[in-house]
Amino acid sequence: MPTPSSSKPEGLPARGGVLDTVVTTETPEGILLELRPAGLSVRFYAFAVDGVIRLAIIYAAAIGLALFGQLGLALWLIIIFALEWFYPVVFELMPGGATPGKRMFALRVVMENGLPVTAAAALTRNLLRVADFLPFGYGFAVVSMLLRRDCQRLGDIAAGTLVIHQPRGAPRMALGSVEPVVPVVPLSADDQAALIALAARAPRLTSERLDELAALAAVVSGDAGRRGPDVTRRVLGVAHWSLGRRA
Amino acid sequence: MQLDTLAVRLRPRTALEGADLGVRLCQSAARSVYGCYAMVALPVIVLGLASYEIAAWLPGFVIWWAKPWLDRTVLFVLSRAAFGQPTRPVDVWGAQRAVWWRQCAFTWTARRLSPWRTLTEPIYQLEGFSILGARQRMRVIRNRIAGPALMITSVFSLAEIALWLAACSLVFWFAPAGRAPQFEALVMGEAPAWLMLSIPIGYALAVLFVEPFYVAAGFGMYLNRRAELEAWDIEQEFRRAFAA
Repeated sequence: MPTPSSSKPEGLPARGGVLDTVVTTETPEGILLELRPAGLSVRFYAFAVDGVIRLAIIYAAAIGLALFGQLGLALWLIIIFALEWFYPVVFELMPGGATPGKRMFALRVVMENGLPVTAAAALTRNLLRVADFLPFGYGFAVVSMLLRRDCQRLGDIAAGTLVIHQPRGAPRMALGSVEPVVPVVPLSADDQAALIALAARAPRLTSERLDELAALAAVVSGDAGRRGPDVTRRVLGVAHWSLGRRA
Repeated sequence: MQLDTLAVRLRPRTALEGADLGVRLCQSAARSVYGCYAMVALPVIVLGLASYEIAAWLPGFVIWWAKPWLDRTVLFVLSRAAFGQPTRPVDVWGAQRAVWWRQCAFTWTARRLSPWRTLTEPIYQLEGFSILGARQRMRVIRNRIAGPALMITSVFSLAEIALWLAACSLVFWFAPAGRAPQFEALVMGEAPAWLMLSIPIGYALAVLFVEPFYVAAGFGMYLNRRAELEAWDIEQEFRRAFAA
């Protein structure tokens, strides 16, 4: 198992010392990666979908193999065994890193440091499902997932894996008729990201709320202390400038 | 609402990720949450278990029925934890009018049957809406996330059942060799009373553990929804970035 420096969840506090759901890990190149571990609810539904798929295959196989008598029964039992133990392993080792159920909810399995899951880890986490099932009905898995901030079940802890939400694309935005405005103060990357987020969300906000928010950032267009539709338009202009548009 | 004192980091999240944020909040405030929750839950559970004398099914039913009322204490603690404030049982006692008694009859009746009660409870308890006045507000909050709200209710109900069965199975795991109780007798209610009591006690343990997380999941989803509707995450970023 490759082990680049993976910071454990206890390590870095979230930005600004506030609570967050992400787990931060650092690549060997020193790049901070934010992984978003998936919680109990969404993982349960992925699990349920996989369960239904497996049942459907078992039923279909039963109907087909009924024609072959004793041999069919033997084959059927082998299929059940293989599905029970290797269905997740095979799917998690394929490029998407997810079973069909997980794919449906946009989840994937990765190593704790964000790398694709290895064969050994995929086997470990799925064979240890038995431990998670104890004492009965996945009791340990439920407790472990509720108590750990990276939401690992016992199999995940042993294998060093995480189930995460797949990164989402940036929201699309209508660029509209706003003229780009050059900011009058230097903007950090985070500041620019915040302005762009406002521009992306603008169509879904009431105009009063939009003005109120834009007034908070009015300093960037040199309108500090003022508010109104004109200020909003200029602040959004700075957001468009941040996206690389120039007049 | 002073967003700059909010102790959780808002960012665009799906509804179910919002529920995870709630779970995370409950983890970090576990001491306050379980301290205050035990203060109300333990008497209710003891009372419920005592009703075993009346009927064998009554203890589980009493505990199940009381859950929405127990939730209110948890929600109070969580709503303070969201602003980084710890809560002691004394604080709950001081705020008991709002936490325990306001709209109390409603909590024990219609709320019990609401399939998304932990998502909508903050509207009554924290925003202070009256029972009839909340309709419009509820529609706004629940719009487009009724599905995820139902999902967390079912997941946490199943988690509770799983842990209940797990707790009850301990009776079999730890029985002395050769003296494991008869499973059929336990199901048919023919086992001795001390053994039959393991069923409601197992349920009480599951409720004690899971219920705060369920309330937290609903509260997280509520926070996430309001953040989305009112762009709280952007306001939080702006206050951090452009504060004079």
